[in-house]
Amino acid sequence: MSALSVILVFLGYFLLLSFLGTAAEYIDRKLYARMQNRIGPPWFQPYADLIKLAAKEDLIPEEANSAMFKFMPVLAMTAVLTAYLHIPLWNSTPLISFNGSIIVIVYLLTIPTLTFFLGGWHSTSLYSMIGAVRTLTQLFAYEVPLLLAVLSPAVLAHTWSIADMSEFYSNNPLYALTNSIGFLVALVALQGKLERVPFDMPEAETEIVGGTFTEYSGRLLAMFRLAIDMEVIVGASLIAAVFLPFGLHFGLVIGVILYLIKILFILLLLALLRTVTARLRIEQMVVFCWKYLAPAALAQIFISLTLNWIVK
Amino acid sequence: MSLLSKIVTWARIKSPWIIHFNSGACNACDIEIVASLTPRFDIERFGIILKGTPRHADVLVCSGPVTRQIKDRLIRIYEQMPEPKFVVAVGTCSCSGGVFQGCYNVCGGIDTVIPVSAYIPGCPASPAAIIDGVAKLLGSLQGKKPGEKADIEAIERKLLEAEITTNG
Ligand code: SF4
Repeated sequence: MSALSVILVFLGYFLLLSFLGTAAEYIDRKLYARMQNRIGPPWFQPYADLIKLAAKEDLIPEEANSAMFKFMPVLAMTAVLTAYLHIPLWNSTPLISFNGSIIVIVYLLTIPTLTFFLGGWHSTSLYSMIGAVRTLTQLFAYEVPLLLAVLSPAVLAHTWSIADMSEFYSNNPLYALTNSIGFLVALVALQGKLERVPFDMPEAETEIVGGTFTEYSGRLLAMFRLAIDMEVIVGASLIAAVFLPFGLHFGLVIGVILYLIKILFILLLLALLRTVTARLRIEQMVVFCWKYLAPAALAQIFISLTLNWIVK
Repeated sequence: MSLLSKIVTWARIKSPWIIHFNSGACNACDIEIVASLTPRFDIERFGIILKGTPRHADVLVCSGPVTRQIKDRLIRIYEQMPEPKFVVAVGTCSCSGGVFQGCYNVCGGIDTVIPVSAYIPGCPASPAAIIDGVAKLLGSLQGKKPGEKADIEAIERKLLEAEITTNG
């Protein structure tokens, strides 16, 4: 591919992903409101928020490392977008595919979390530093269960490439059902990765003001918000590709519709989880992740290994 | 107005994020402000979200008279907010000093310290009045004149009538 076409593809994916991301934010907020018996925001709410933030003054604290402070939102968005290029959407072939892509995706999705940490740390405000440290503490809690849960289907499919995995599971859909524990673990871990209730300690506004984003304002905050919205879609697409690889051979139109339905289903589950729970304390979250989530993910790997052994 | 500034004004009206600051209120106004944030009134319909940090907020919602103790903090919070920013004074105290007017420890209303864009009288101001006041403030961004004193009295009268009809 020439440099120009790479840029155009990247731009196209950026527009697609920001559209899907803002739509996801609206759907999530609307579902959350309806579950609380409210009317909820209008459909243009995410756009109004982003435009308003973009038109606001950018304040950079005097003490902050301004280069890092400005660079982090851009890096978060880029990492999320790059991860999206590796995930199969309506068929089983993503734009970029190689053996080991699933590990690359999981690690690319770690970068936004690190940028939240670095952004908060370089704001040099007390609240944002506490938020930053909580972000990292959380990362060590949910990352291992997420990685285990996402990799266990790969064990059964004998490949580290997400494209071959989708191919394998769409040819043997019954095998995909054996991954249901992993699906649930990945959902809960994704909720932690997205820093949403019950795992929103890093930005708990009732205790530490605004957490990592305390000092961010204007355009930089808009970029962070957009990056988080995009991350929702990328995380949901990853789970859909790994755990719900059904109907990938019906052509573009049906494929896209099925893809959107899968994303909506995952969004619904995430919103439900957010509605029925309240915020945990940071150490409760670590205990929960290591005591229940990680063993469940291990059980999933055990199931996959046993199946592997039986089938052979 | 050019198209761009029209879009920006629209976005500002549709997404006011607020921060709540108690500058010395007796707490009744704060309870009413918190009540207007509950699902019953559902102000997310208008895009209003309560934010914890002044950096994210567009509207500073103040309650109570400014005490000498809180004056510097109020100014600091106000200066931490990025432009464009608005201040809403909730309750009779924050409009004029109210019952605390002339006390040795009180500077007076919010507007003795920072510029105020909207006054919402009432002791305490009811959630309906608060939401109405914020909506009026946002309407004034569109080029309409901000609510005059007579306007506020009309709201109070309307509220009183509503109360009379509901309470019999
Ligand atoms: S206006 Fe009334 S309710 Fe509000 S702070 Fe003053 S005294 Fe309290």
